[in-house]
Amino acid sequence: MLGLAPDSATHRKALRNLLQATLLILGVTFISFLLMVYFGPDQTYTLIGKNATPQQIAEVRHQLGYDQPFFQRYGQFLASLFTLDLGVSHSTGEQVRTILARSLPVSLALVIPGFILGNLIGLLLGMAAAWQSGRWLDRLITTLSVSTMSISFLIIVIALQIVLCTPYGLNLFPARGWNVSGLSSYLYYVAVPTLALILTNAGYSARFYRAVFVQEAGREHIRVARAYGASPFTLMTVHVLKNSLLAVLTRIMFSLPLVLVSGSLLLETYFGIPGIGKVTFDAITNGDQPLLLAVVGLTAVLFVLVSLLADVAYRLADPRIR
Amino acid sequence: MRVTNSKDVARTAVLISLALSAALLLSCRPQSEDPATQAGANDSGVARSNARVNVYRHSMDGAPTSLDPIHASNIYANFLVVNLYDTLYRYSYLARPYQLTPNLAESLPEVSADGLIYTIRIKPSVHFIDDPSFPDGKGRPIRAEDFVYSMKRHFDPAMRSQGNWMWQGKIVGLDEWKESGAHYAADIPGLRALDDRTLQIQLITPFPQLTHTLAQGYAAIVPSEAVSHYGSEFGVRPVGSGPFMLKSFDSTRAILQRNEKFRAEAFNLVSEGYDPASQQVFGVESLEGQAPPFVDRVEVEFIAEDAARWNTFNSGLLDFVKVPVTQFDRVLAERNPPRLKPELEQRYHLLANLESGFVHTDFNMDDQRIGHHPDAEQDSRNRALRCAMVKAFDWPRRNEIFYSGLGHVFPGVIVPITPEFDRKQSLQSITRNLDEAQSLLKRNGWNADNLPVLEYGLPSSVTERQMFEQFRSFMADIGYPEEKIRPLTFASYGDYARAYLNREVMLITSSWTMDYPDSENTMQLYFGPNASPGANNANYRNPEYDRLYREAAVMPESPMRTAIYRQMSQMVIDDCVSITGLSRTLILMWDKRFRMLPDRSFVGGYFLRFATDATDGEVPAVLEP
Repeated sequence: MLGLAPDSATHRKALRNLLQATLLILGVTFISFLLMVYFGPDQTYTLIGKNATPQQIAEVRHQLGYDQPFFQRYGQFLASLFTLDLGVSHSTGEQVRTILARSLPVSLALVIPGFILGNLIGLLLGMAAAWQSGRWLDRLITTLSVSTMSISFLIIVIALQIVLCTPYGLNLFPARGWNVSGLSSYLYYVAVPTLALILTNAGYSARFYRAVFVQEAGREHIRVARAYGASPFTLMTVHVLKNSLLAVLTRIMFSLPLVLVSGSLLLETYFGIPGIGKVTFDAITNGDQPLLLAVVGLTAVLFVLVSLLADVAYRLADPRIR
Repeated sequence: MRVTNSKDVARTAVLISLALSAALLLSCRPQSEDPATQAGANDSGVARSNARVNVYRHSMDGAPTSLDPIHASNIYANFLVVNLYDTLYRYSYLARPYQLTPNLAESLPEVSADGLIYTIRIKPSVHFIDDPSFPDGKGRPIRAEDFVYSMKRHFDPAMRSQGNWMWQGKIVGLDEWKESGAHYAADIPGLRALDDRTLQIQLITPFPQLTHTLAQGYAAIVPSEAVSHYGSEFGVRPVGSGPFMLKSFDSTRAILQRNEKFRAEAFNLVSEGYDPASQQVFGVESLEGQAPPFVDRVEVEFIAEDAARWNTFNSGLLDFVKVPVTQFDRVLAERNPPRLKPELEQRYHLLANLESGFVHTDFNMDDQRIGHHPDAEQDSRNRALRCAMVKAFDWPRRNEIFYSGLGHVFPGVIVPITPEFDRKQSLQSITRNLDEAQSLLKRNGWNADNLPVLEYGLPSSVTERQMFEQFRSFMADIGYPEEKIRPLTFASYGDYARAYLNREVMLITSSWTMDYPDSENTMQLYFGPNASPGANNANYRNPEYDRLYREAAVMPESPMRTAIYRQMSQMVIDDCVSITGLSRTLILMWDKRFRMLPDRSFVGGYFLRFATDATDGEVPAVLEP
C-alpha cells in the first residue's frame, strides 16, 4: 500500500543507494583521514619524555604508525571501521570499542530528551508563529528565538549552572556529575543539560519551522480548507504540518549526528559527564588518533545511514516519492 | 488513502518514540551493575553528597590519561599514581623545605663512599592488592625484583615510557639492556635484587639526585603479573600497594577507596617535619600515633574549566579547590599575605602554595637572527638585542594582569622554592629600564628598519594570545615595530611542542615544573647537550656553562655546589638567553572539616593518605556565600 513492494525498480534504486552510500563513506573517510594525518594532532611530542633523543622520537613515531605510507594507514583505518576492531587508544591503552561502548549510551541519554523537547517546542512555536504570521505573537516568538540564538551556548550553560546549581542561585541540581542509578537520579542529572539544549535548539527550530509553515500556509489548498471552516488546529496539524513533513524530517534526522557529537561536547565538558563528546574533546586535545579517527569515521557512517534512512522516511511520509 | 498513510506515519513515529524511550531507560542501568563505574553506587544520586561519611572530594584542573607509572608525566597522573602504588621514597608530609623520607624502603639508602652504589632494603610483608591477575586473586608480597622489573619497563621501547630520561645514561648496563633487545630475563649489572628485600643500584657516575627520582610516580613498583594480565589496559587497571585502590576512572573523575591491607605505620609529627608555628592551624597534630590512610574514599574530580570547577565547589560538591585567578578578588580579603574574607574564613582553610617551577620566555639561540651567530660582531649585536628586550619586559605588569599580582618574580633560573635560591641577588634583570634598553639598541646599530621579524610561538588560547599582545606592547615601548613581532599560533600544545622541539620557533614561552627540589633540574634546561629535542629549548651553548654543569651534577648538595649553580644562573642572565622568570602562587582552599595540608608541589599526592575528616562524617550545613 505504501509503494514498498519489491520490484526491479526498487532493487535498482536500493542498489544505487548502496553504491552511493559506499562511495560517500569512502569519500568522507578519505577526506577526514587526510585532514587528520596532515593537519591533525601529532601525539609524538606529548608522549615523549623530557630530553628525548631523535632515536626515541623515531621509536615513538614508529609505534604510533606515523612512519607508515599514507595509503597503508588509510587501508588499515577502513579495515578497522569495517571490522569494528578500532584498535587501542594511544592515551589510555583501552580498546577504542570499549571506550565508545561506555560513552555512547551516556551521550544518548544526555542529549535525546533535550533534542526531542527542543524540536517539539520549536515545532509548536513555529506553528503558532506561522498561524499568527505578522502579528504580535509571531513577533514575540521571533524575537525570543533570535535572542536565544544570539546567546552563546557556553554562556547559557554557565548561567544555568549558576542559577540552578549553586548557592548563588537556587542550588536545586548538581553542577556536575553523572551518577545515574535509576530514573530519579537520571532526571536529577539530566535536567539542567536538557534545559540548556532546549534553550539553544528551540530558537533555531522555531525560526526554521516557522519559515516552512508560513510558506505552506500560503498555499491554495490551505486557503480552501480555511474557507471550508477547518479549525486552526486542524489546519496547522493535518494540512500544514503533514505537507511540511519532508522539511521537518530532514532537519531532525540530519541534526541528530551533529547534536550527538558536537552538541554534547560542551555539555559533557562543563557538567563532567563521561560521554562521547568529552571523549572526542579529550582525543583532540591529547592527539589520540585511533579514538579520534573512530569517532570521525563512525560519525561519517552515521551520516550516510541517516541519509539512507531519510530516503525511507521520505517515502513513508510521502508515497509519491519513488 | 492519504489519511490512512498519515495515520501510519504517526503510529510509526509513536512506536519509534516508545522504543527509543525504552532503550534510554535500559541504557540508564544502575551503576552498581557496571564495574567500570560502580564507585558511584553509594551515591543515591538525588541525595546531596555532603551527607556521605568519610569521603574526601578533591578537584584537579586537569585529568590524567593513564595511571601506569611509566606515564606519570604530569601532576595529575602523579597525584593518583603515588596513592595507588608504592614508591621507595616520598617527601615528608609537613617538612618545608621538602625532605625525602622512606616510603616502601626501610630507611634512606646506604651509599658507597664513591657515591656509585646505593643499597636499599624494603619493608617486610608489604602486599600488592588482591586482583584477578594473581593466582587465586590474592595479592602477593612485594619483592626487590619487582622494583627491578618496574625499572626495566621504562627501558622497554614497546612500553613508550615517559620517565626513562631520569635514569638514562646513569645506571650501569641499563641502556645496554635496552639496546640488546630489552629481554626481561636478562640481568642488568647495575640494577640487582640481592634478595627478596634488598636492592642494589650501581651508577656510572655519581648522581646525587637518584633518591629524589625514586620518590617520583615514575618509580612506582608494579607487579609483572598485572602488566601481563591487562596488557595495554594496565593504564586503567592499576594494581599496586599504595594507601588507596582504584574503584573507577574515566576522563571526568577517579574514585579511590582505602586499601585495607595498607601497612599500619603510626603517623609521627616529628619525622613528618611538623612546624607548630605555621601548621598548628591545620589541626594535623591530632593525627599523632594513628595509622593512615584516614579517609575511606576519595573522589577526585577532573575539571579543567575554571568556572565549572568553582561552581562545583560552591555547590558543596567538593572539599578542595585550586581557586581560579578570576576568583581571587572574590575570596581574598588581603593579598600579601593572602587571607580569606572573614565569611569564608569561618569555613575554609587557605594556603598560598608557591609552585615548584617557573614561567619564562626563551630565545631560540639556534636562530641566527637573534641567537648565536658565527660572526663575533653579529653575535654581540644579537646579544644586545636580546638584552634590550629583557630590559623592556615589564614583569610587575605581567604579574598583575595574569597572576593577580601573587606571582614571585625572580632573576635567573634558580626558582624560589629550592634551597639554592639566592634572596640577595641583583634584581636588575627583572627591572624594567626602557632608557637602557633603547640605548643598547642604538649603541649596537639596531633601528626600526633593521630589527629582525620575531616569531612568537603560542598554543591557541585566549590567555596565550593576551600574553602575546602584552609582550608586543612592551616591545613597542622601545621602538620595536608591532608588525615585526608576529604570533605563530598552534592548534594544540602538542603541535607547539613539536615546533619548538624542532627549533622552528624564535620565542618560546613555556613553564617548567620541577621533578625534584634540586636546582640541577632547572640547570639542565640550559645544558648544551640537552638542546632540542631535549629540554634545552633555548638551544643555549656555552662551553663554560656546560663544564660547570658537569662539575656540579656529580656533587652532593653543598655550599660549593650552590655557588656553582648561582654562577651558572648568572651566565643565563648575562647572555640574555631567557626573559625569566616568575613562579606562580596557587591559592588552595579546602573545607575546615578536613585536617590536612594539601600540596601541589613535591609532596603532591602523598598528602592524601594523611587527610582526615575531623567531624568523622558529621557535616555542617553548607554556608551561603
